Amino acid sequence: MNDSLKSILEALIFISVEPLTPERIREVLPDENEEDIGQALAGLVEDYAAGSQAVRITASAGGYVFSTKPEYDPFVRKLLQIERRKKLSGQALETLSAIAYHQPVTQPEIHAIRGVDCSHALHTLLENKLIKISGRKEAPGRPLLYRTTDKFLTYFGLNAIEDLPSAEELKKLLQEGNA
Amino acid sequence: MLDEHDPSPNPDGPGVIAPGRDDLAAPVPADGYQVKLPVFEGPLDLLLYLIKKKKIEIHDIPISVITSEYLEYLRGRIDIVIDREAEFLLMAALLIYLKSQTLLPREQVLDPDIELRRPSMDHLMDHDRLRAAAALLRDKEEEQSQVWKRSILNAPLPDEDLDLVEVSLFDLAESFFALMKRKQTEAYKVVKAREISMADKMAEIVETLKSRGVLDFLDFLWEQESLEEALISFFCLLELIKARTIIAVQEQLFHTIKVWLRKDAPAGDGNES
Repeated sequence: MNDSLKSILEALIFISVEPLTPERIREVLPDENEEDIGQALAGLVEDYAAGSQAVRITASAGGYVFSTKPEYDPFVRKLLQIERRKKLSGQALETLSAIAYHQPVTQPEIHAIRGVDCSHALHTLLENKLIKISGRKEAPGRPLLYRTTDKFLTYFGLNAIEDLPSAEELKKLLQEGNA
Repeated sequence: MLDEHDPSPNPDGPGVIAPGRDDLAAPVPADGYQVKLPVFEGPLDLLLYLIKKKKIEIHDIPISVITSEYLEYLRGRIDIVIDREAEFLLMAALLIYLKSQTLLPREQVLDPDIELRRPSMDHLMDHDRLRAAAALLRDKEEEQSQVWKRSILNAPLPDEDLDLVEVSLFDLAESFFALMKRKQTEAYKVVKAREISMADKMAEIVETLKSRGVLDFLDFLWEQESLEEALISFFCLLELIKARTIIAVQEQLFHTIKVWLRKDAPAGDGNES
């Protein structure tokens, strides 16, 4: 019973290009109870992680998706004829960090956190859909508010924004790094 | 609008007595133009005085009305007493200045202790933490760059409408001309004109798409042997798009244009024309 549910989910995840969300699973399997689905998903992730397969299932941006294991990167790149993947600039990464930890946040606030102008970085991030405008702040000038997107989560292999270490944990990481 | 014909001579103010004034039939009022507004009627200097004393709210004084009426008044005059009109200008300028002062936002004198740049720095992360967070994201990015998901292959197109931007003819043409400009600079060896028919070329494109799945619009044109062939290929692509055999989309703005075979493409390989 549980195994067949696992197999169904496996098929659904396999065929999904974007992470398969619990909502979509519920659409397909309205009668299954959520706990069973959750268990089956966890089991599936574990099976792949422990197995010798070249692919694995990861929780990404609240859904489940297949990906290749890192050791196959050179081969995949050769197949897809991709020499190397583009990386974000340091500027963009710092701006993105400021947004990730303070969202929703305005440009002047990001500016205050970073101490330097960030309009170019914001533009790049918006273009790459790693951030989005989520409204305006009810403050003088009604500045735009920025938030990270689901693409941000998948890009960095995160399931939820809470996966990022808290500000306190960052401090700890920092001290360990310096020690 | 017209000048006030106040019968009582009122010789005050410096510019009142003007040369040649005596020849005029009607006595001209000494104070010249009079303001006529719902809230105030009288000479401009009195108005200014009252505003300064805050007896009249400057916001209630429409300056455009005063100036346009003044111009009207000037036009209706036969003589112009320069001194008096200069005085009007001075007072009107003063009035405009006063009003603009009240309309413009005032720069506030800041307490030097308050650092305006950082309104609430206490709950914002400090620079070290920001650096740490950025480094962490860099690590994760590095990690993820070796992990491949099927979303990298944008070849499978959903049957219904897509989120991709279907490009317009203008986008295609623009890309094409930019490419041709580059290609022109290349030296060509014309060996022998090869006859290329559009039907052959279209069949070739469809075949390529069937085997490769997706074509990069510009790369494909770039690969063509000659300018002529590239031109024909371009027309073929347009023709195929028109016949709804293929679809040209842009994944994101400013990205390259890609060409797919439509799933619901009509049979006949698109070269039925």
